[in-house]
Amino acid sequence: MDHQLRRRDFLKKTSAAAMATMAMGAPLSSLISSCNPKDTISSTADTVILLFMAGGMAHTETFDPKKYTAFRKGMQSNEVLSTFPSFPTALDGIHFSEGLESIGEIMDRGTLIRSYVAADLGHILHTRHQYHWHTCYEPPQSVVVPHLGSWIAKEKGPLNPVIPPFINIGQRFTVGEGEELKAFHSAGFLGSEFGPFLIPDPASGLESVRPPFGMSMQRFESRNQLYENLVKESAMGDFGSDYQRESLKRSMEQAYILLNSPEAKAFDLSQEAKESYDIYNTGKFGLGCLLAKRLVNQGARFISVTTEYEPFFGWDTHDNGHTRLKDMKKLIDAPIAQLIKDLDESGKLERTLVIVASEFSRDMLTEGRPDLKVLDQVDVPDIIEDMKNYGMHRHFTDGCSMLMFGGGIKRGHVYGKTADERPCKTVEKPIKIDSIHQTIYHALGIPTDTHYMIEKRPFYTTPDGHGKVEYELLNTKKT
Amino acid sequence: MVVENFWFWQFLGRLHPLVVHFPIGLLIFAAFLELFTIGNFQSKLRPGINALVLGGAFSALIAVLFGWQLAVNESITGELLEIHQQLGFVTATISLILLWIVSRIALKNRLHHIKLYRGVLFITAVGIGATGHFGASMTHGEDFLVNVLPWNSNDSNSIPFEFDLANYDSGVGSLNPDNELKLIGEVRTVLAHNCYKCHSGAKIEGDLRLDSREYVFKGGESGAVVIPGNTGQSEMIKRIKLPKNHKNVMPAKGKLLTEQEIALLTFWVEKGAPWPDNASQPSIYRVAELTPRRPTLPKSTTGLENPIDLFVHAYFLQNGLKWPQISDDKTFLRRIYLDVIGLMPSPEELEAFSRDEKPDKKAELIQNLLNRNEDYSMHWLTFWNDILRNDYTGTGYITNGRYNITDWLYESLSKNKPYNVFVKELLNPNEKSKGFIEGIQWRGTVNASQRTEMQAAQNVGQVILGLNLKCASCHDSFISDWKLDQAYAFANIFADSTLEVSRCEQPTGKFASTKILWEELGEIDSTARRSEKLRQLSEHLVQPANGRMYRTIVNRIWKQMMGRGIIEPVDEMDNAPWSQDLLNWLASEFVDNGYDLKALIYLIGTSKIYQSASSGVKSPDLLYSEDFTFNGMNRRRLTAEQFSDAVSQVINPIFGQEEVKYNPFQLAKSEQIKPEFIRASLVANNSFLTAMGRPNREIVATNRDSQANLLQALELSNGDRLFDVLEKGAIHWRDKYTRGEIISEEFYKKILLRKPSQKELEITKQVLGDFPEPEHIQDFFWAVLLLPEFQIIY
Repeated sequence: MDHQLRRRDFLKKTSAAAMATMAMGAPLSSLISSCNPKDTISSTADTVILLFMAGGMAHTETFDPKKYTAFRKGMQSNEVLSTFPSFPTALDGIHFSEGLESIGEIMDRGTLIRSYVAADLGHILHTRHQYHWHTCYEPPQSVVVPHLGSWIAKEKGPLNPVIPPFINIGQRFTVGEGEELKAFHSAGFLGSEFGPFLIPDPASGLESVRPPFGMSMQRFESRNQLYENLVKESAMGDFGSDYQRESLKRSMEQAYILLNSPEAKAFDLSQEAKESYDIYNTGKFGLGCLLAKRLVNQGARFISVTTEYEPFFGWDTHDNGHTRLKDMKKLIDAPIAQLIKDLDESGKLERTLVIVASEFSRDMLTEGRPDLKVLDQVDVPDIIEDMKNYGMHRHFTDGCSMLMFGGGIKRGHVYGKTADERPCKTVEKPIKIDSIHQTIYHALGIPTDTHYMIEKRPFYTTPDGHGKVEYELLNTKKT
Repeated sequence: MVVENFWFWQFLGRLHPLVVHFPIGLLIFAAFLELFTIGNFQSKLRPGINALVLGGAFSALIAVLFGWQLAVNESITGELLEIHQQLGFVTATISLILLWIVSRIALKNRLHHIKLYRGVLFITAVGIGATGHFGASMTHGEDFLVNVLPWNSNDSNSIPFEFDLANYDSGVGSLNPDNELKLIGEVRTVLAHNCYKCHSGAKIEGDLRLDSREYVFKGGESGAVVIPGNTGQSEMIKRIKLPKNHKNVMPAKGKLLTEQEIALLTFWVEKGAPWPDNASQPSIYRVAELTPRRPTLPKSTTGLENPIDLFVHAYFLQNGLKWPQISDDKTFLRRIYLDVIGLMPSPEELEAFSRDEKPDKKAELIQNLLNRNEDYSMHWLTFWNDILRNDYTGTGYITNGRYNITDWLYESLSKNKPYNVFVKELLNPNEKSKGFIEGIQWRGTVNASQRTEMQAAQNVGQVILGLNLKCASCHDSFISDWKLDQAYAFANIFADSTLEVSRCEQPTGKFASTKILWEELGEIDSTARRSEKLRQLSEHLVQPANGRMYRTIVNRIWKQMMGRGIIEPVDEMDNAPWSQDLLNWLASEFVDNGYDLKALIYLIGTSKIYQSASSGVKSPDLLYSEDFTFNGMNRRRLTAEQFSDAVSQVINPIFGQEEVKYNPFQLAKSEQIKPEFIRASLVANNSFLTAMGRPNREIVATNRDSQANLLQALELSNGDRLFDVLEKGAIHWRDKYTRGEIISEEFYKKILLRKPSQKELEITKQVLGDFPEPEHIQDFFWAVLLLPEFQIIY
């Protein structure tokens, strides 16, 4: 209700014309032509939150634990499947690895996927697999490929015209592989207007949507007034209609409206009640989840929150896997669970699809896929003498866990299975990225054959449009 | 000034389309009334008919005279015109004879002439009808009328048939091999135009492909679609004959086949669906000529010296367009500075230029700008970095899968290396220039269609030759005639060992040959080492005989200066240019002039059309549409680099020394003047430049988005980089100029090259007051920088 009222206030302040242009999502990029059917399928979700466990989250240490073997000097590395004990979750017979108790409690509200299989891309590079996860295409490509969020921004437009339709929280690009990260944080051929609105640090999210730091509202207003007055006087009026001039003026109007809108307060985490803030505040990722919740309440379309990829940090455990995972679990457990609870209680979960995923998993021994091993990157001793070697340090692509909640996803469902013995690979219902993407698109009501003609070739949301909706994940039946 | 043809004759000529309706109406109506007088020549209608004939004959004469003026003044030619003209002359002459006969009958009562009179009258009526028809075909198009007929509604898609079904007995008997070849050619053309959209490698609906013999006879989900000799059982034939709204009709989307097309396919199936082995797919794509062609210059016109202008003049005449006004000194100066060296002229430079009264001051200025080697190179570095995907940071560097070529590139620009040498060094590279063909190697295994050799083939194709090989590197192209084997043969030139051909990522077991895309350019020794193959390639490609390569580069430079290529997109040189002659001439001139890029820029810059008023379009689609009309330079936005450099020039340097990624002055001798600020082209991409449109140079980028968007506006509105630099600059300005009014005037002069109007002074005074604080100055800077007048090259 609150949101509705504020929307109305907001509507009064802006001209109908400005609203109309914004709702259209601004002008189309000129060189692409749409080939998509007008009639869309019915949707079960309006918003997507992607919580990305960047760096490779070991399934056996998180949502798919196997036999626990406690650390002891002289143990064989081959006998270690999980380095944490497990506990039962809210789902019958389903256990999670210790440290994820809060998520375990709410697991009856969503679906657990245990059989995600990443692509075979040879000698492993995280950012290449992340590129593949986020775009559905293997790099390199001969055109710049849009991010999942850009496709959604393009096809669905903003839900609330003043909130950018694709918001990316938590990733800096000044880290190692920063350029590789940039390569997929792009709207590509869809045009930069559908690119990510970047908030590297959620704690200072507000800075991205308010007048420059230190500028009073009054000064901001008078600066804008000055601009508007000078535009009217400027000689460019002589030149008649011109799309560049129009797009410059329109985009400035949009920016002014956003920077000045009540919705911008959603970016201000200091407005959150202290108890709630404290639950989320496990670090940058936790605050990212909080920001995501607040933005969903104001009508965001696609939000990605990442634990942030930085080579050899976060989930990218090349050593001390066990010790470091304790911290990672602390970082994600409470905020993810709280996000689901908050959305569920406010009723938003019904139309909000939340995904927890990682580019691939990890294992102590296998690099790549058991049937197609690739060049090792970490030396793993046969006999473990040192705690630093106790953990999942190699990159494993044949069995990764994902969680999905809300937006038409089944409650209390488990999909797929990995083997209980090494190599703990997927043994039931392997699912790949094109199917994951297509299922997300389907929930949003984006047709499976959505594509654009790029350099006269059809370019689909999933390669060749072949991604299949996995109906088993959804409440709705195939129609 | 151009001397136009005398306006009055031109005016009369343009009355032709009006005047022609008199003889048509009058004479045909006369003939019609004449029918009522048969049997009673002295009917009451007689005086009326005579008046109609008199008026008709007289107006026919006028129409012919006016029409003749029209054809002469508007330089109209063509086959239709000739027919129309001759018929017109003949008909007018006959109508005069008719008049003579009428006068004989009326005045001398020669009644035995009645039959003659009636015959001539009817001939005149028919003649004038025919003349009118051909005239209308010229103005409205030949199919204007017949287009709307119900049986012609599918016409736009159909192709003229060379294969005349009537010549063949559709009963028993078989075709001779020659006819079989012709027939299958036509059949495949029909399939390509109507069915490939859903039934070819690009898109396979119902599991059916119709793009090769094997697939056609294999059929789809529901079995065979073609049963040779049995049209009744052939699903394809059954379904193309269904009515429009039937649920099984094919094509399911889009227009139905024409009757002629249906008859052709039916005939083909009846004849046993012959598909000879040596059948080749007919081309349905426009293919540009490879060889150069130097057109003769249009006849000289007073006031136009630059040959570019003669071609543009011919184009304007042909399209009934007017020359735009010559731009004033300010507009010209701003444009040429930004285009040649990427910087704004200073108010002092503008003043000196305006005061200069030498007739050739523009040419002299352009030459001076081109001589500013460092500024020129730092500006054009941006363009070349984009299209050669050369950058200082980026994908691939982390695993040593990429090489920087900036050193080589900068040197080539500052020495104005001839373009043929430039290309040779890219294709047959030294250590410093190898980055372009080495491509980007990501860690891990990559798709066959993205292996570095194939990247080289694609990028050389796109950048150097203006063609798209991306499709053909995976399978035979559906957008051109390029075949998978040709793409591989071309890629093989860049390979150390022979490549195995993969189709859609599946190895075929076939090994690629080694060939240039156009074999007439020369052979590559497939057994030679890579370096030798590259040497041969580079020699063959840069020959003047490769007109395509030179058309590609002149078209790119034209786009940089004129806002839109003569062909668009500039990477698809098989598309139709708006002036083939101009493009051909520029390319030939470029070659004859020593492949000199600066000379090309000079040539364009000194043309009258470059120096004339710019033109805007309402939507970017219009700019790239096939029926684009050239009206003069198309307005462009400042690039991220031009914007940044102007801020650095006028307000405060926007980039610090520590951000420099390439320093051309590293080895500079101390007496050389160091630049006052860091040019944007020398720094790595950052969030400001990205927001303003610099691409990640991970793939070739030959076009920057000219439209603004929200993310950009946000960066300008609250991004740190611009805020900080304006804040610093405001303090300098306050210290230097102190008074609000002076700051207003100085800033307008420096950034917009004009004085603020009285109204603008009043507006800015409200913010600045007499003695502004730095923050007021800062906000004033900001507001002016955001004006379209600053951000657009007009």
